[in-house]
Amino acid sequence: MDFKSVVFYLFSAVLVFASLRVITARNPVRAVLYLVLAFVSGGGIWMLLEAEFLAITLVLVYVGAVMVLFLFVVMLLDINLDRLREGFWSYLPLGATVGALMALEMGVVIGGSYFDLFENRVPALVTDSNVKEIGRLIYTDYVYPFEVASVILLVGIVAAIALTGRQRRQTKAMDPAQQVLVKASDRVRLVSMPSEKLEDSVPQAGE
Amino acid sequence: MLENYFPVLIFILVGAVVGALPLILGWVVSPSRPDSEKLSPYECGFEAFEDARMKFDVRYYLIAILFILFDLEIAFLFPWATIFKEIVSTDTIKWFGFAEMMVFIAILVVGFVYAWVKGALDWE
Repeated sequence: MDFKSVVFYLFSAVLVFASLRVITARNPVRAVLYLVLAFVSGGGIWMLLEAEFLAITLVLVYVGAVMVLFLFVVMLLDINLDRLREGFWSYLPLGATVGALMALEMGVVIGGSYFDLFENRVPALVTDSNVKEIGRLIYTDYVYPFEVASVILLVGIVAAIALTGRQRRQTKAMDPAQQVLVKASDRVRLVSMPSEKLEDSVPQAGE
Repeated sequence: MLENYFPVLIFILVGAVVGALPLILGWVVSPSRPDSEKLSPYECGFEAFEDARMKFDVRYYLIAILFILFDLEIAFLFPWATIFKEIVSTDTIKWFGFAEMMVFIAILVVGFVYAWVKGALDWE
């Protein structure tokens, strides 16, 4: 067993452990942190496959950004831990069926004769830097999907802003420009009224 | 190629050891005699007002998702930057290679302007 296999089994063991903890951890925040660990070890395995751009993007985008979002969502939802766990046994048959189907499909795909992944993996394709090879493909042959990706990102931006749309101002922050521009006449109104004598002054509601 | 990443592997391993060793040492070496007062949450000396889990403002979510989207944009810029010289020195796709990225950025600038105008970026 060469050194590469040792590293692979190390990352795989961490990945399997972390994935198991993601679904067994009681605390959702801990589950999210284990998911971070799973992504990092997945990135390590991709690195072993010499897919360096994908590996670093996985760490950068998923660990750096998506998991922050996950943490915010977990905190945002204010999950009741006890309510989350009820109904486990009633959902188990359905969940087990779906899981078994997915495992079966994965087995068919990987074991099928069309996908002989393990026999001829494609090391010959990458002669130069991996990133450059991806760049050559994205920016020449796959320009149209690349531009579509930017449109999808745009839709994501607009949807996020529209969904969280907060028209109401929650804080009482001041705009300094308006404060400076204010005039005395906006603040104080001088009302001229005749002076009153003491004897016929009746307490009454102000003007 | 992989041997270039060997220092990174060393770094990960050393980092994991440095992170885990103090915790394990503390857990193994230190005496552990817990009682209910020691285990109770400490909040400046008085009883805890409420649960630590509370609803966050949705604005944090908005900032996080905008961060993801623009992070992805940068991730797409990176391979383009590595082959930029190659694109520019090829006559057939000289301007095409430049323009496609400008179109990509322009589409996302629309989203950026939208976020700016809608006030999604200011915190008040």
